[in-house]
Amino acid sequence: MNSSGSTLLRHAGYLLVGCIFLLPLWWAFSSSLKPLTEVFRDTSPFHLRALLPVPFHPGAYLEIFQKGFGRAVWNSLLVAFLSVTFGLAVNGCAGFAFAVLSFPGKNLLFGITVLTFLVPSEAISVPLYTVVRGLGWLDSYAGLVVPGIANGITIFLFRQFFAQIPRELAEAARMDGAGWLTILLRIYVPLCKPVIISAGLLIFIFQWEAFLWPLIATRSEGMRVVQLALAGFEQEHQTLWTELFAASVVSSAIPLLILLPLQRYYIQGVVGSSIKG
Amino acid sequence: MKAKGSAPLAFVLLLPAMVCLGVFRIYPIALTAWGSLRRESFEEAGRTLFVGAQNYVDLFGDPLFWKSLWVTTKLNAVINPVQVVLALLLAVMVNQRFRGIGFYRLLLFVPIGVSLPIACVIWRLMLDPQSGLINSLLGWVGIGRQPFLIDEHQALWSILAIATWKGVSFWMIFLWAGLQAIPLELHEAARIDGARTVRRFFRITLPLLKRSLLFVLVTDTAVNFLLFVPMFLLTRGGPAYSTNVLMYEAYKSGFIYGEMGRALALVMVLLLLVSVAVALQFYFLRQEES
Repeated sequence: MNSSGSTLLRHAGYLLVGCIFLLPLWWAFSSSLKPLTEVFRDTSPFHLRALLPVPFHPGAYLEIFQKGFGRAVWNSLLVAFLSVTFGLAVNGCAGFAFAVLSFPGKNLLFGITVLTFLVPSEAISVPLYTVVRGLGWLDSYAGLVVPGIANGITIFLFRQFFAQIPRELAEAARMDGAGWLTILLRIYVPLCKPVIISAGLLIFIFQWEAFLWPLIATRSEGMRVVQLALAGFEQEHQTLWTELFAASVVSSAIPLLILLPLQRYYIQGVVGSSIKG
Repeated sequence: MKAKGSAPLAFVLLLPAMVCLGVFRIYPIALTAWGSLRRESFEEAGRTLFVGAQNYVDLFGDPLFWKSLWVTTKLNAVINPVQVVLALLLAVMVNQRFRGIGFYRLLLFVPIGVSLPIACVIWRLMLDPQSGLINSLLGWVGIGRQPFLIDEHQALWSILAIATWKGVSFWMIFLWAGLQAIPLELHEAARIDGARTVRRFFRITLPLLKRSLLFVLVTDTAVNFLLFVPMFLLTRGGPAYSTNVLMYEAYKSGFIYGEMGRALALVMVLLLLVSVAVALQFYFLRQEES
Protein backbone atom coordinates (compact mmCIF):
# COMPACT_ATOMS: atom_id res chain seq x y z
CA MET A 1 0.00 0.00 0.00
CA ASN A 2 1.36 3.44 -0.78
CA SER A 3 1.95 5.87 2.06
CA SER A 4 -0.90 8.29 1.37
CA GLY A 5 -3.28 5.32 1.34
CA SER A 6 -2.07 4.14 4.73
CA THR A 7 -2.33 7.68 6.10
CA LEU A 8 -5.92 7.81 4.97
CA LEU A 9 -6.60 4.44 6.55
CA ARG A 10 -5.08 5.60 9.80
CA HIS A 11 -7.23 8.73 9.87
CA ALA A 12 -10.30 6.64 9.14
CA GLY A 13 -9.49 4.29 12.00
CA TYR A 14 -8.88 7.11 14.48
CA LEU A 15 -12.00 8.92 13.35
CA LEU A 16 -14.17 5.82 13.79
CA VAL A 17 -12.90 5.17 17.32
CA GLY A 18 -13.14 8.88 18.10
CA CYS A 19 -16.76 9.01 16.98
CA ILE A 20 -17.70 6.06 19.18
CA PHE A 21 -16.23 7.93 22.13
CA LEU A 22 -17.78 11.25 21.25
CA LEU A 23 -21.25 10.17 20.09
CA PRO A 24 -23.12 9.93 23.44
CA LEU A 25 -21.88 13.26 24.73
CA TRP A 26 -22.35 14.91 21.35
CA TRP A 27 -25.93 13.73 21.22
CA ALA A 28 -26.50 15.05 24.76
CA PHE A 29 -24.84 18.32 23.74
CA SER A 30 -26.93 18.87 20.63
CA SER A 31 -30.09 17.83 22.48
CA SER A 32 -29.33 20.29 25.26
CA LEU A 33 -29.53 23.10 22.73
CA LYS A 34 -33.03 22.21 21.49
CA PRO A 35 -36.51 22.93 22.79
CA LEU A 36 -37.72 20.12 25.07
CA THR A 37 -40.32 18.93 22.54
CA GLU A 38 -37.71 18.31 19.83
CA VAL A 39 -35.31 16.09 21.80
CA PHE A 40 -36.58 12.67 20.77
CA ARG A 41 -38.18 13.63 17.48
CA ASP A 42 -35.43 12.42 15.15
CA THR A 43 -33.85 9.52 16.98
CA SER A 44 -36.16 6.87 15.55
CA PRO A 45 -36.51 6.80 12.62
CA PHE A 46 -33.13 8.42 12.58
CA HIS A 47 -32.56 11.75 10.93
CA LEU A 48 -29.26 13.61 10.99
CA ARG A 49 -31.12 16.43 12.75
CA ALA A 50 -30.92 14.29 15.91
CA LEU A 51 -27.21 15.08 16.07
CA LEU A 52 -27.50 18.77 15.27
CA PRO A 53 -28.67 21.54 17.58
CA VAL A 54 -31.62 22.57 15.41
CA PRO A 55 -33.89 24.32 16.11
CA PHE A 56 -31.37 26.21 18.21
CA HIS A 57 -32.65 26.96 21.69
CA PRO A 58 -29.96 27.33 24.41
CA GLY A 59 -32.39 28.30 27.18
CA ALA A 60 -31.64 25.21 29.28
CA TYR A 61 -28.18 26.52 30.12
CA LEU A 62 -29.66 29.66 31.64
CA GLU A 63 -32.28 27.70 33.53
CA ILE A 64 -29.87 25.30 35.23
CA PHE A 65 -27.81 28.16 36.61
CA GLN A 66 -30.93 29.94 37.80
CA LYS A 67 -31.75 26.74 39.68
CA GLY A 68 -28.48 26.84 41.60
CA PHE A 69 -26.37 24.53 39.47
CA GLY A 70 -23.51 27.05 39.71
CA ARG A 71 -23.39 26.57 43.47
CA ALA A 72 -23.10 22.79 42.96
CA VAL A 73 -20.29 23.26 40.46
CA TRP A 74 -18.48 25.52 42.92
CA ASN A 75 -18.92 22.99 45.74
CA SER A 76 -17.57 20.15 43.63
CA LEU A 77 -14.62 22.21 42.40
CA LEU A 78 -13.72 23.24 45.94
CA VAL A 79 -14.05 19.70 47.30
CA ALA A 80 -12.02 18.29 44.41
CA PHE A 81 -9.33 20.98 44.76
CA LEU A 82 -8.95 20.42 48.50
CA SER A 83 -8.91 16.64 48.00
CA VAL A 84 -6.22 16.85 45.33
CA THR A 85 -4.01 19.21 47.37
CA PHE A 86 -4.13 17.28 50.62
CA GLY A 87 -4.29 13.92 48.87
CA LEU A 88 -1.09 14.53 46.91
CA ALA A 89 0.80 15.69 50.01
CA VAL A 90 -0.35 12.94 52.35
CA ASN A 91 -0.22 10.03 49.90
CA GLY A 92 2.96 11.23 48.21
CA CYS A 93 4.81 11.24 51.55
CA ALA A 94 3.51 7.77 52.37
CA GLY A 95 4.43 6.46 48.92
CA PHE A 96 7.97 7.80 49.31
CA ALA A 97 8.36 6.14 52.70
CA PHE A 98 7.17 2.79 51.32
CA ALA A 99 9.35 2.98 48.22
CA VAL A 100 12.63 4.36 49.53
CA LEU A 101 12.93 4.27 53.32
CA SER A 102 13.31 1.23 55.50
CA PHE A 103 11.59 0.81 58.81
CA PRO A 104 10.13 -2.02 60.89
CA GLY A 105 6.70 -3.30 59.87
CA LYS A 106 6.96 -1.87 56.34
CA ASN A 107 5.56 -4.88 54.48
CA LEU A 108 2.70 -5.31 56.92
CA LEU A 109 1.72 -1.63 56.70
CA PHE A 110 1.95 -1.65 52.92
CA GLY A 111 -0.16 -4.80 52.75
CA ILE A 112 -2.84 -3.15 54.86
CA THR A 113 -2.68 -0.03 52.68
CA VAL A 114 -3.20 -2.07 49.51
CA LEU A 115 -6.10 -3.91 51.12
CA THR A 116 -7.87 -0.67 52.04
CA PHE A 117 -8.22 0.37 48.43
CA LEU A 118 -10.10 -2.77 47.66
CA VAL A 119 -12.82 -1.66 50.01
CA PRO A 120 -15.55 0.29 48.27
CA SER A 121 -16.55 3.51 49.95
CA GLU A 122 -20.11 2.44 49.10
CA ALA A 123 -19.70 -0.73 51.14
CA ILE A 124 -18.48 1.03 54.26
CA SER A 125 -20.65 4.11 53.91
CA VAL A 126 -22.91 3.20 56.82
CA PRO A 127 -20.15 2.77 59.42
CA LEU A 128 -18.31 5.72 57.87
CA TYR A 129 -21.39 7.85 58.39
CA THR A 130 -21.27 6.99 62.10
CA VAL A 131 -17.62 8.05 62.29
CA VAL A 132 -18.12 11.34 60.47
CA ARG A 133 -21.21 12.15 62.53
CA GLY A 134 -19.15 11.54 65.67
CA LEU A 135 -16.62 14.10 64.45
CA GLY A 136 -19.42 16.60 63.85
CA TRP A 137 -18.57 16.88 60.15
CA LEU A 138 -21.93 16.05 58.59
CA ASP A 139 -23.07 18.54 55.96
CA SER A 140 -19.64 20.23 55.81
CA TYR A 141 -16.72 20.41 53.40
CA ALA A 142 -14.58 18.56 55.95
CA GLY A 143 -17.03 15.66 55.85
CA LEU A 144 -16.74 15.47 52.06
CA VAL A 145 -12.97 15.91 51.85
CA VAL A 146 -11.20 14.40 54.86
CA PRO A 147 -12.48 10.79 54.73
CA GLY A 148 -11.15 10.45 51.18
CA ILE A 149 -7.72 12.07 51.61
CA ALA A 150 -5.68 9.03 52.54
CA ASN A 151 -6.16 6.64 49.71
CA GLY A 152 -4.52 3.28 49.11
CA ILE A 153 -4.62 3.63 45.32
CA THR A 154 -2.76 6.93 45.34
CA ILE A 155 -0.18 5.68 47.83
CA PHE A 156 0.32 2.64 45.60
CA LEU A 157 0.72 4.85 42.53
CA PHE A 158 3.35 7.03 44.24
CA ARG A 159 5.18 3.99 45.57
CA GLN A 160 5.34 2.44 42.09
CA PHE A 161 6.71 5.67 40.71
CA PHE A 162 9.33 6.29 43.40
CA ALA A 163 10.46 2.67 43.26
CA GLN A 164 11.50 3.02 39.61
CA ILE A 165 13.78 6.00 40.22
CA PRO A 166 17.34 4.60 40.31
CA ARG A 167 18.64 4.18 43.84
CA GLU A 168 22.06 5.36 42.73
CA LEU A 169 20.79 8.94 42.78
CA ALA A 170 19.88 8.70 46.45
CA GLU A 171 23.01 6.72 47.28
CA ALA A 172 25.24 9.33 45.73
CA ALA A 173 23.51 12.04 47.72
CA ARG A 174 23.91 9.99 50.92
CA MET A 175 27.63 9.71 50.21
CA ASP A 176 27.74 13.48 50.02
CA GLY A 177 26.16 13.59 53.44
CA ALA A 178 22.63 14.62 52.47
CA GLY A 179 19.79 13.73 54.87
CA TRP A 180 16.73 11.79 53.73
CA LEU A 181 14.53 14.84 53.84
CA THR A 182 16.93 16.70 51.54
CA ILE A 183 16.96 13.69 49.20
CA LEU A 184 13.17 13.67 49.12
CA LEU A 185 12.88 17.40 48.42
CA ARG A 186 15.88 17.79 46.10
CA ILE A 187 15.87 14.56 44.09
CA TYR A 188 12.47 12.92 44.23
CA VAL A 189 10.04 15.85 44.26
CA PRO A 190 11.44 17.50 41.08
CA LEU A 191 11.06 14.21 39.20
CA CYS A 192 7.49 13.83 40.37
CA LYS A 193 5.57 15.79 37.80
CA PRO A 194 4.11 12.86 35.82
CA VAL A 195 2.97 10.96 38.89
CA ILE A 196 1.55 14.12 40.43
CA ILE A 197 -0.54 14.60 37.31
CA SER A 198 -1.69 10.98 37.22
CA ALA A 199 -2.48 10.89 40.94
CA GLY A 200 -4.08 14.33 40.89
CA LEU A 201 -6.27 13.25 37.99
CA LEU A 202 -7.25 10.08 39.83
CA ILE A 203 -8.26 11.98 42.96
CA PHE A 204 -10.02 14.72 41.02
CA ILE A 205 -12.10 12.31 38.95
CA PHE A 206 -13.07 10.16 41.94
CA GLN A 207 -14.23 13.25 43.86
CA TRP A 208 -15.94 14.81 40.86
CA GLU A 209 -17.91 11.60 40.27
CA ALA A 210 -18.74 10.96 43.91
CA PHE A 211 -22.43 10.32 44.34
CA LEU A 212 -23.36 8.02 47.21
CA TRP A 213 -21.15 9.55 49.90
CA PRO A 214 -22.25 13.19 49.30
CA LEU A 215 -25.83 11.89 49.22
CA ILE A 216 -25.39 10.45 52.70
CA ALA A 217 -23.05 13.04 54.22
CA THR A 218 -24.74 16.28 53.13
CA ARG A 219 -28.23 17.54 53.64
CA SER A 220 -28.55 21.23 52.89
CA GLU A 221 -29.11 22.77 49.46
CA GLY A 222 -25.96 24.86 49.83
CA MET A 223 -23.73 21.76 50.16
CA ARG A 224 -25.06 19.95 47.09
CA VAL A 225 -22.37 18.66 44.72
CA VAL A 226 -22.62 18.30 40.94
CA GLN A 227 -23.71 14.65 40.72
CA LEU A 228 -26.51 15.21 43.25
CA ALA A 229 -27.68 18.34 41.47
CA LEU A 230 -27.81 16.29 38.26
CA ALA A 231 -29.97 13.66 39.89
CA GLY A 232 -32.28 16.49 40.91
CA PHE A 233 -33.14 17.25 37.29
CA GLU A 234 -34.44 13.72 36.87
CA GLN A 235 -36.46 13.47 40.04
CA GLU A 236 -38.37 16.70 40.45
CA HIS A 237 -41.83 16.35 38.85
CA GLN A 238 -40.91 14.99 35.43
CA THR A 239 -37.52 14.67 33.78
CA LEU A 240 -36.41 17.96 32.28
CA TRP A 241 -34.34 16.39 29.54
CA THR A 242 -32.83 19.52 28.07
CA GLU A 243 -31.76 20.75 31.51
CA LEU A 244 -30.41 17.32 32.43
CA PHE A 245 -28.43 17.28 29.20
CA ALA A 246 -27.18 20.84 29.69
CA ALA A 247 -26.05 20.04 33.23
CA SER A 248 -24.42 16.82 32.00
CA VAL A 249 -22.51 18.73 29.36
CA VAL A 250 -21.31 21.36 31.83
CA SER A 251 -20.25 18.78 34.39
CA SER A 252 -18.42 16.72 31.74
CA ALA A 253 -16.70 19.73 30.21
CA ILE A 254 -15.05 20.86 33.44
CA PRO A 255 -12.81 17.79 34.01
CA LEU A 256 -11.93 17.83 30.30
CA LEU A 257 -10.96 21.50 30.38
CA ILE A 258 -8.69 20.77 33.33
CA LEU A 259 -7.23 17.66 31.71
CA LEU A 260 -6.49 19.02 28.25
CA PRO A 261 -3.75 21.49 29.19
CA LEU A 262 -2.15 18.79 31.34
CA GLN A 263 -1.71 16.36 28.48
CA ARG A 264 1.37 18.22 27.27
CA TYR A 265 3.23 16.87 30.29
CA TYR A 266 2.68 13.40 28.92
CA ILE A 267 3.53 14.35 25.37
CA GLN A 268 6.80 15.97 26.38
CA GLY A 269 7.71 12.78 28.13
CA VAL A 270 8.98 14.62 31.18
CA VAL A 271 10.11 11.35 32.71
CA GLY A 272 12.84 11.47 30.13
CA SER A 273 15.28 8.77 29.31
CA SER A 274 17.42 9.20 32.40
CA ILE A 275 14.99 7.04 34.34
CA LYS A 276 14.60 3.41 33.56
CA GLY A 277 11.08 2.10 33.28
CA MET B 1 21.04 -0.34 49.81
CA LYS B 2 19.86 -0.12 53.37
CA ALA B 3 18.19 3.17 54.07
CA LYS B 4 19.83 3.58 57.46
CA GLY B 5 18.54 6.08 59.95
CA SER B 6 15.40 6.70 57.97
CA ALA B 7 12.87 5.18 60.37
CA PRO B 8 12.04 8.46 62.21
CA LEU B 9 11.40 10.27 58.92
CA ALA B 10 9.34 7.30 57.68
CA PHE B 11 7.23 7.57 60.82
CA VAL B 12 6.57 11.28 60.26
CA LEU B 13 5.79 10.82 56.55
CA LEU B 14 3.46 7.89 57.13
CA LEU B 15 1.62 9.26 60.15
CA PRO B 16 -1.03 11.42 58.42
CA ALA B 17 -1.86 8.74 55.85
CA MET B 18 -2.00 5.94 58.38
CA VAL B 19 -4.15 7.90 60.84
CA CYS B 20 -6.63 8.78 58.06
CA LEU B 21 -6.70 5.22 56.75
CA GLY B 22 -7.19 3.90 60.26
CA VAL B 23 -10.08 6.20 61.12
CA PHE B 24 -11.90 6.32 57.76
CA ARG B 25 -11.14 2.91 56.25
CA ILE B 26 -9.91 0.28 58.68
CA TYR B 27 -12.20 1.16 61.59
CA PRO B 28 -15.31 1.16 59.34
CA ILE B 29 -14.16 -2.16 57.83
CA ALA B 30 -13.85 -3.58 61.34
CA LEU B 31 -17.36 -2.30 62.08
CA THR B 32 -18.52 -4.03 58.88
CA ALA B 33 -16.91 -7.34 59.87
CA TRP B 34 -18.44 -7.07 63.33
CA GLY B 35 -21.83 -6.11 61.91
CA SER B 36 -21.82 -9.15 59.62
CA LEU B 37 -21.93 -11.30 62.76
CA ARG B 38 -24.99 -9.52 64.10
CA ARG B 39 -28.61 -9.27 63.14
CA GLU B 40 -31.52 -6.92 63.79
CA SER B 41 -33.52 -7.83 66.84
CA PHE B 42 -37.22 -8.55 66.31
CA GLU B 43 -38.20 -7.55 69.84
CA GLU B 44 -36.55 -4.18 69.93
CA ALA B 45 -36.21 -1.92 66.91
CA GLY B 46 -32.71 -0.61 66.33
CA ARG B 47 -31.02 -3.24 68.51
CA THR B 48 -28.81 -5.93 67.05
CA LEU B 49 -27.95 -9.34 68.43
CA PHE B 50 -24.81 -11.39 68.05
CA VAL B 51 -25.61 -14.38 65.83
CA GLY B 52 -22.13 -15.71 65.06
CA ALA B 53 -21.76 -17.06 61.53
CA GLN B 54 -25.51 -17.38 61.01
CA ASN B 55 -25.66 -14.62 58.35
CA TYR B 56 -23.00 -16.47 56.36
CA VAL B 57 -24.71 -19.85 56.82
CA ASP B 58 -27.99 -18.38 55.55
CA LEU B 59 -26.17 -16.75 52.65
CA PHE B 60 -24.54 -19.97 51.49
CA GLY B 61 -27.90 -21.73 51.56
CA ASP B 62 -29.54 -19.03 49.42
CA PRO B 63 -29.73 -19.71 45.65
CA LEU B 64 -29.90 -15.95 45.01
CA PHE B 65 -26.47 -15.56 46.60
CA TRP B 66 -24.99 -18.16 44.25
CA LYS B 67 -26.72 -16.55 41.27
CA SER B 68 -25.25 -13.15 42.25
CA LEU B 69 -21.83 -14.68 42.77
CA TRP B 70 -22.03 -16.23 39.30
CA VAL B 71 -23.10 -12.94 37.68
CA THR B 72 -20.30 -11.06 39.47
CA THR B 73 -17.69 -13.64 38.44
CA LYS B 74 -18.91 -13.80 34.85
CA LEU B 75 -18.90 -10.02 34.47
CA ASN B 76 -15.43 -9.65 35.95
CA ALA B 77 -13.89 -12.52 34.04
CA VAL B 78 -14.72 -10.59 30.86
CA ILE B 79 -14.73 -6.90 31.72
CA ASN B 80 -11.28 -6.64 33.32
CA PRO B 81 -9.24 -8.22 30.50
CA VAL B 82 -11.35 -6.39 27.89
CA GLN B 83 -10.87 -3.00 29.53
CA VAL B 84 -7.14 -3.41 30.10
CA VAL B 85 -6.48 -4.60 26.53
CA LEU B 86 -8.62 -1.82 25.01
CA ALA B 87 -6.99 0.78 27.27
CA LEU B 88 -3.59 -0.46 26.11
CA LEU B 89 -4.60 -0.24 22.45
CA LEU B 90 -5.89 3.28 23.01
CA ALA B 91 -2.70 4.26 24.83
CA VAL B 92 -0.66 3.06 21.86
CA MET B 93 -3.01 5.01 19.58
CA VAL B 94 -2.71 8.32 21.45
CA ASN B 95 1.03 7.84 21.82
CA GLN B 96 1.54 8.05 18.04
CA ARG B 97 2.75 11.31 16.59
CA PHE B 98 1.34 12.56 13.33
CA ARG B 99 -0.43 15.61 12.02
CA GLY B 100 -3.90 15.82 13.54
CA ILE B 101 -3.24 13.55 16.55
CA GLY B 102 -4.20 16.39 18.90
CA PHE B 103 -7.72 16.36 17.55
CA TYR B 104 -8.09 12.59 17.93
CA ARG B 105 -6.69 12.73 21.46
CA LEU B 106 -9.41 15.20 22.30
CA LEU B 107 -12.07 12.78 21.01
CA LEU B 108 -10.60 9.83 22.89
CA PHE B 109 -10.49 11.83 26.12
CA VAL B 110 -14.18 12.68 26.13
CA PRO B 111 -15.48 9.82 28.32
CA ILE B 112 -13.03 10.78 31.09
CA GLY B 113 -15.14 13.84 31.75
CA VAL B 114 -18.46 12.00 31.67
CA SER B 115 -19.33 10.61 35.08
CA LEU B 116 -20.72 7.10 35.33
CA PRO B 117 -24.23 8.24 36.37
CA ILE B 118 -24.35 10.61 33.39
CA ALA B 119 -23.01 7.92 31.07
CA CYS B 120 -25.76 5.59 32.30
CA VAL B 121 -28.55 8.11 31.73
CA ILE B 122 -27.37 8.98 28.21
CA TRP B 123 -26.74 5.36 27.21
CA ARG B 124 -30.11 4.26 28.56
CA LEU B 125 -31.79 6.67 26.16
CA MET B 126 -29.50 5.66 23.30
CA LEU B 127 -30.09 1.94 23.93
CA ASP B 128 -33.85 2.29 24.19
CA PRO B 129 -35.44 -0.57 22.18
CA GLN B 130 -38.09 1.70 20.65
CA SER B 131 -36.68 5.18 20.21
CA GLY B 132 -32.96 4.66 20.81
CA LEU B 133 -30.31 6.05 18.53
CA ILE B 134 -28.29 2.82 18.52
CA ASN B 135 -31.12 0.74 17.11
CA SER B 136 -31.61 3.34 14.39
CA LEU B 137 -27.92 3.14 13.51
CA LEU B 138 -28.00 -0.67 13.57
CA GLY B 139 -30.97 -0.51 11.21
CA TRP B 140 -28.78 1.36 8.73
CA VAL B 141 -26.36 -1.55 8.52
CA GLY B 142 -29.21 -4.06 8.30
CA ILE B 143 -29.28 -5.36 11.88
CA GLY B 144 -32.70 -5.75 13.48
CA ARG B 145 -33.84 -4.02 16.66
CA GLN B 146 -32.14 -5.25 19.81
CA PRO B 147 -33.71 -5.18 23.29
CA PHE B 148 -30.35 -4.47 25.06
CA LEU B 149 -30.99 -3.60 28.71
CA ILE B 150 -34.41 -5.23 28.98
CA ASP B 151 -33.28 -8.64 27.78
CA GLU B 152 -32.02 -11.33 30.12
CA HIS B 153 -29.22 -12.34 27.76
CA GLN B 154 -28.12 -8.86 26.69
CA ALA B 155 -28.45 -6.70 29.81
CA LEU B 156 -25.18 -7.71 31.47
CA TRP B 157 -23.22 -7.25 28.25
CA SER B 158 -24.88 -3.90 27.61
CA ILE B 159 -23.75 -2.77 31.06
CA LEU B 160 -20.29 -4.11 30.28
CA ALA B 161 -20.24 -2.01 27.11
CA ILE B 162 -21.36 1.15 28.92
CA ALA B 163 -18.86 0.70 31.75
CA THR B 164 -16.12 -0.01 29.21
CA TRP B 165 -17.00 3.06 27.13
CA LYS B 166 -16.77 5.10 30.31
CA GLY B 167 -13.70 3.39 31.76
CA VAL B 168 -11.12 2.73 29.06
CA SER B 169 -10.12 6.35 28.39
CA PHE B 170 -9.45 6.82 32.07
CA TRP B 171 -7.21 3.75 32.32
CA MET B 172 -5.60 4.70 29.02
CA ILE B 173 -4.11 7.79 30.69
CA PHE B 174 -2.08 5.67 33.11
CA LEU B 175 -0.82 3.35 30.40
CA TRP B 176 0.01 6.34 28.22
CA ALA B 177 2.11 7.77 31.04
CA GLY B 178 3.83 4.38 31.24
CA LEU B 179 4.51 4.39 27.50
CA GLN B 180 5.99 7.88 27.75
CA ALA B 181 8.37 6.67 30.43
CA ILE B 182 9.98 4.15 28.06
CA PRO B 183 13.21 5.65 26.74
CA LEU B 184 13.03 6.36 23.03
CA GLU B 185 16.62 5.11 22.62
CA LEU B 186 15.43 1.57 23.29
CA HIS B 187 13.04 1.75 20.37
CA GLU B 188 15.65 3.36 18.17
CA ALA B 189 18.16 0.65 19.00
CA ALA B 190 15.65 -2.09 18.26
CA ARG B 191 14.67 -0.40 15.02
CA ILE B 192 18.29 -0.22 13.92
CA ASP B 193 18.58 -3.91 14.75
CA GLY B 194 15.71 -4.45 12.36
CA ALA B 195 13.12 -5.60 14.87
CA ARG B 196 9.62 -5.30 13.43
CA THR B 197 6.94 -3.15 15.02
CA VAL B 198 4.92 -6.02 16.46
CA ARG B 199 8.01 -7.73 17.80
CA ARG B 200 9.26 -4.48 19.33
CA PHE B 201 5.93 -4.06 21.04
CA PHE B 202 5.98 -7.51 22.67
CA ARG B 203 9.72 -7.60 23.42
CA ILE B 204 10.33 -4.04 24.61
CA THR B 205 7.17 -2.06 25.23
CA LEU B 206 5.10 -4.67 27.02
CA PRO B 207 7.76 -5.81 29.54
CA LEU B 208 8.63 -2.21 30.40
CA LEU B 209 4.97 -1.37 30.82
CA LYS B 210 4.43 -4.09 33.41
CA ARG B 211 4.26 -1.75 36.41
CA SER B 212 1.64 0.44 34.78
CA LEU B 213 -0.30 -2.59 33.56
CA LEU B 214 -0.30 -4.15 37.00
CA PHE B 215 -1.54 -0.91 38.53
CA VAL B 216 -4.34 -0.55 35.99
CA LEU B 217 -5.36 -4.20 36.18
CA VAL B 218 -5.50 -4.23 39.98
CA THR B 219 -7.33 -0.93 40.31
CA ASP B 220 -9.73 -1.71 37.50
CA THR B 221 -10.53 -5.09 39.06
CA ALA B 222 -11.28 -3.48 42.41
CA VAL B 223 -13.55 -0.93 40.70
CA ASN B 224 -15.40 -3.49 38.58
CA PHE B 225 -16.05 -6.02 41.33
CA LEU B 226 -17.85 -3.20 43.11
CA LEU B 227 -19.58 -1.85 40.03
CA PHE B 228 -22.99 -0.77 41.21
CA VAL B 229 -24.22 2.44 39.61
CA PRO B 230 -25.33 0.91 36.25
CA MET B 231 -27.28 -1.86 37.96
CA PHE B 232 -28.81 0.69 40.31
CA LEU B 233 -29.77 3.18 37.61
CA LEU B 234 -30.49 0.93 34.61
CA THR B 235 -31.64 -2.58 35.46
CA ARG B 236 -32.28 -2.90 39.21
CA GLY B 237 -30.44 -6.20 38.99
CA GLY B 238 -32.84 -7.59 36.39
CA PRO B 239 -34.21 -8.86 34.09
CA ALA B 240 -34.51 -12.21 35.89
CA TYR B 241 -31.54 -11.34 38.16
CA SER B 242 -29.24 -11.39 35.12
CA THR B 243 -27.41 -8.27 36.32
CA ASN B 244 -27.81 -8.90 40.04
CA VAL B 245 -24.16 -8.54 41.11
CA LEU B 246 -23.15 -9.08 44.73
CA MET B 247 -22.73 -5.35 45.36
CA TYR B 248 -26.29 -4.67 44.23
CA GLU B 249 -27.58 -7.61 46.28
CA ALA B 250 -25.79 -6.13 49.30
CA TYR B 251 -27.38 -2.73 48.63
CA LYS B 252 -30.83 -4.29 48.39
CA SER B 253 -30.37 -6.28 51.59
CA GLY B 254 -29.14 -3.31 53.55
CA PHE B 255 -31.13 -0.38 52.26
CA ILE B 256 -34.33 -1.88 50.83
CA TYR B 257 -35.02 -4.93 53.02
CA GLY B 258 -33.30 -3.58 56.13
CA GLU B 259 -31.25 -6.73 56.66
CA MET B 260 -27.98 -5.01 57.54
CA GLY B 261 -26.37 -8.20 58.86
CA ARG B 262 -26.91 -9.97 55.55
CA ALA B 263 -25.72 -6.90 53.62
CA LEU B 264 -22.51 -6.68 55.61
CA ALA B 265 -21.90 -10.43 55.24
CA LEU B 266 -22.27 -9.99 51.46
CA VAL B 267 -19.80 -7.12 51.54
CA MET B 268 -17.32 -9.28 53.45
CA VAL B 269 -17.65 -12.06 50.85
CA LEU B 270 -17.11 -9.48 48.12
CA LEU B 271 -14.01 -8.10 49.81
CA LEU B 272 -12.59 -11.60 50.11
CA LEU B 273 -13.30 -12.19 46.42
CA VAL B 274 -11.55 -8.97 45.34
CA SER B 275 -8.58 -9.71 47.58
CA VAL B 276 -8.16 -13.17 46.06
CA ALA B 277 -8.46 -11.83 42.49
CA VAL B 278 -5.90 -9.09 43.14
CA ALA B 279 -3.53 -11.42 44.99
CA LEU B 280 -3.59 -13.76 41.98
CA GLN B 281 -2.83 -10.89 39.62
CA PHE B 282 0.12 -9.80 41.76
CA TYR B 283 1.38 -13.36 42.02
CA PHE B 284 1.34 -14.07 38.29
CA LEU B 285 2.62 -10.72 37.09
CA ARG B 286 5.39 -10.61 39.67
CA GLN B 287 6.45 -14.15 38.89
CA GLU B 288 6.73 -13.38 35.22
CA GLU B 289 8.94 -10.44 36.06
CA SER B 290 11.67 -12.50 37.72
